[in-house]
Amino acid sequence: MVLSDLGRRINAAVSDLSRSPTLDEKAFDGMVKEICNALIESDVNVRLVASLRNSIRRAVNFKELGPAVNKKRLIQKAVFDELVKLVDPHAEPFKPRKGKANVIMFVGLQGSGKTTTCTKLARWYQARQFKSCLVCADTFRAGAFDQLKQNATKAKIPYYGSLTQTDPVVVAREGVEKFKKERFEIIIVDTSGRHRQEQDLFDEMVQIQHAVKPDQTIMVLDSTIGQQAEGQSRAFKEAADFGAIVLTKTDGAAAGGGAISAVAATHTPIVFLGTGEHMLDLERFAPQPFVSKLLGMGDMQGLVDH
Amino acid sequence: ATASLSTLFHNVVGGHTLSPSDLQKPLQQMEAHLLRKNVAREAAVRLCESVSRDLVGAQTRTFESVDARLHTAMESALRKMLTPTSSLDLLREIQAVRNPSAGAAPRPYVLSIVGVNGVGKSTNLSKIAFFLLQNRYRILIAAADTFRSGAVEQLRVHAANLRELSRREGGEIELYERGYGKDAADVARDAVAYAARGAWDVVLVDTAGRRHNDARLMGGLEKFARLARPDKCLMVGEALVGGDAVQQARHFNESLIGNPSGGGARGGGRGLDGFIVSKCDTVGDMVGTLVSMVHATGIPVVFLGTGQHYSDLRTLNVGSVVRLLME
Ligand SMILES: Nc1nc2c(ncn2[C@@H]2O[C@H](COP(=O)(O)OP(=O)(O)OP(=O)(O)O)[C@@H](O)[C@H]2O)c(=O)[nH]1
Ligand SMILES: Nc1nc2c(ncn2[C@@H]2O[C@H](COP(=O)(O)OP(=O)(O)OP(=O)(O)O)[C@@H](O)[C@H]2O)c(=O)[nH]1
Ligand SMILES: [Mg+2]
Ligand SMILES: [Mg+2]
Repeated sequence: MVLSDLGRRINAAVSDLSRSPTLDEKAFDGMVKEICNALIESDVNVRLVASLRNSIRRAVNFKELGPAVNKKRLIQKAVFDELVKLVDPHAEPFKPRKGKANVIMFVGLQGSGKTTTCTKLARWYQARQFKSCLVCADTFRAGAFDQLKQNATKAKIPYYGSLTQTDPVVVAREGVEKFKKERFEIIIVDTSGRHRQEQDLFDEMVQIQHAVKPDQTIMVLDSTIGQQAEGQSRAFKEAADFGAIVLTKTDGAAAGGGAISAVAATHTPIVFLGTGEHMLDLERFAPQPFVSKLLGMGDMQGLVDH
Repeated sequence: ATASLSTLFHNVVGGHTLSPSDLQKPLQQMEAHLLRKNVAREAAVRLCESVSRDLVGAQTRTFESVDARLHTAMESALRKMLTPTSSLDLLREIQAVRNPSAGAAPRPYVLSIVGVNGVGKSTNLSKIAFFLLQNRYRILIAAADTFRSGAVEQLRVHAANLRELSRREGGEIELYERGYGKDAADVARDAVAYAARGAWDVVLVDTAGRRHNDARLMGGLEKFARLARPDKCLMVGEALVGGDAVQQARHFNESLIGNPSGGGARGGGRGLDGFIVSKCDTVGDMVGTLVSMVHATGIPVVFLGTGQHYSDLRTLNVGSVVRLLME
């Protein structure tokens, strides 16, 4: 599962150090190096790892540690704090309200899992007594509307889309207006995949956003993403100011460090995990357990309050 | 301060015999550079080790710095790794199967595409179809993704678009589909049989995305290869992916090899023939995924996907990829 391997390695590196008979600067450097290697192998942004390395070194400042100081505890806390700083989004995710129209727009790179996830999310809210529906504003990808339609039909979610209208802004506006009139509470808008290198695609995203005025924009991120995670998510953040991330394909083997980098770059929380190709493969996600999962253990939890 | 001064000294004076300590720092920087280009750590470390082995004991040339020497060595290591030992000439291979030497009967050439979810299999399959149509072949697309919603309709739209284009380009294209829920290997086999009856030149077989860490899904590949008997099996990996590229490449290759006693050269036991690296337009100069996949398997990259349109397919230009990696 995503992040648990990374957590195991970080945990092992820290406890190796505290078990070693001579807790000297060399052993400490070795531990920091091992943690950084684990982060890099998990696809955490290289620059981010370098700055984490410096922060941990600064926080511990080995030379000035008196012999009486409980080094083990201090080191653990420093590592934990720096990791938390890295992945804590400092932002509360949006919570939809009953009895009003909550428009949620999906954005993301090509093939990240938007269409699959928007049906999962509609079904999630449906199961929690929100009147939910789907709008397909992807008029570009071949078969996009059929894909959404088939998923929505399986999940018994009302949907809107067009096989002839080629302007996604028009479809999005019409769909959202129609469903608002019909007093739907969760209106989810699926959009085409795009990337920061194509300005036209980003402009289109902004136009759709202006047309539907979402209460929440969600960026869907594939957990296998590597060093582009930071640059792409930052660009999406600047253009669309998304307020939450859904991390997909966490049932795969990737460690998900790209997601950590995206969270760090955009200060935006991950709110759901996609855990498979089926409708019910969606899990809620909270940052705090994320950190303990990242650290692969419960026993550091006690350090949080210090 | 003295250390960096002496590095500087070594760095500018040529005719110096390189020691491991001369190389240590520049190699660290080189490794970090490759990591920033999205090369998987495993591949970056291995490349640096091999370059270091070659350089220790070597002499720098007059006016050549350690950094420059390392740069040149890494460049040639990358070039060597990425250059295929045998190049894939798709058109010639198709020709050989369509017009076989005396005695053999012509049959359709079968190319199948595999990979994890959402990487661009169906899209790049359509780009290959476009390329072959321009060469006036008759193409049958086989919809062997019988699982993902809209997968069949997606290919139907591509086939219709390409049919429209082929009025200009020549060639002919059709979709073979049996809807959803059927066994993919059966659909593929039937498509190939249908193509043989209709004297189609090429069958392009699309498959469902599968997680490489799912033994059940990966197990299905061997049967698929046994029944479809592809001439070429290409894996699509996306340029966006990080370290997972290594395992994707290994696991798909291993699963296609499967049980080697089970098939002939064209059945199970065949392995992957090449990679298509898609979405290269989304990563700028961070093209490290190519290195990760080739490092993991020694299997060549044959195509690059460079956009969402039919013409956005390139053959690999090793020189320009190495340039992007080193800049
Ligand atoms: N294993 C797994 N596969 C997933 C998950 N979420 C999505 N997928 C698969 O990923 C592939 C791409 O998903 P889509 O929903 O089509 O992605 P998209 O972002 O809408 O793609 P575009 O619209 O082309 O940009 C499909 O094969 C999905 O079945 C997940 O959580 N786990
Ligand atoms: N920018 C860019 N997008 C691409 C490229 N190749 C494919 N895509 C996009 O990636 C998304 C997914 O492509 P598909 O061909 O459906 O991927 P797939 O691997 O068949 O997906 P599944 O069958 O669901 O596993 C689509 O939005 C494509 O337009 C490429 O080279 N560049
Ligand atoms: Mg989609
Ligand atoms: Mg597909």
